[in-house]
Amino acid sequence: MVLTVIALELLFVLLIVCLLCRAPYGVLAYQPRNGSARRGDWRLAHERAELLLQEMLSAEEYQQLNRRGYLEVASPSHLGRIYRVPHHQGQVKVVEDGVPVMALCVQSLEPIPDGDAVLMHKLMIEGNEDEYLRIANRFEPTLYGFIAFRPRGRR
Amino acid sequence: MAKLRVLSGKGDTAVEWDLKRVKAGDPDAVEAVREAERIFEAQRQRGATAFKVEPDQPARRLTRFDPQVEQIIVVPRVAGG
Repeated sequence: MVLTVIALELLFVLLIVCLLCRAPYGVLAYQPRNGSARRGDWRLAHERAELLLQEMLSAEEYQQLNRRGYLEVASPSHLGRIYRVPHHQGQVKVVEDGVPVMALCVQSLEPIPDGDAVLMHKLMIEGNEDEYLRIANRFEPTLYGFIAFRPRGRR
Repeated sequence: MAKLRVLSGKGDTAVEWDLKRVKAGDPDAVEAVREAERIFEAQRQRGATAFKVEPDQPARRLTRFDPQVEQIIVVPRVAGG
């Protein structure tokens, strides 16, 4: 009886793993609202965005992104500040002199693939940092993660 | 070939033009520049931000379309998440 239960649980876990392995993270994370948009279209967009990102980044930057899961973008105006842009869409961590000081949440109003999102952050930080910081929702680091500096709706 | 790329849910859409042919007055090249400028202005009206991108150089924001720029990338309007 116990062995049967264990076997069933293992089968269930295996099924979940197989389902998760069938599609890349970017496809699972975003489901197009438009009924006519197919998963295949989104996958193509995702691949296209990744190719563009690879073209825009140096070889070292792209390797860093794949190895560490984030791209480091130096602040053009704050000495010692680095922005860590995640490969898959999420909060950008701000590190100053090696210490995480806050996280930022900025997103495109139009859904875009992960590769384009990385490029978006990099371009905004390098070319329009003040506006990027003005727009971003900020989160401060705590022992348990990052919490909002201020509640939504209050600026 | 100079290029204007607009990031979107489809990945990116691009318009290309040959600067030499534009200077020579080639009608197709001139039309491509006009189309790129039209797209540039339309995206800016929607709140997008355009950047000039050069190898090994930090991105620079563009407020006006410049056909001499080799690579322009237009980022959709962003907001705090």
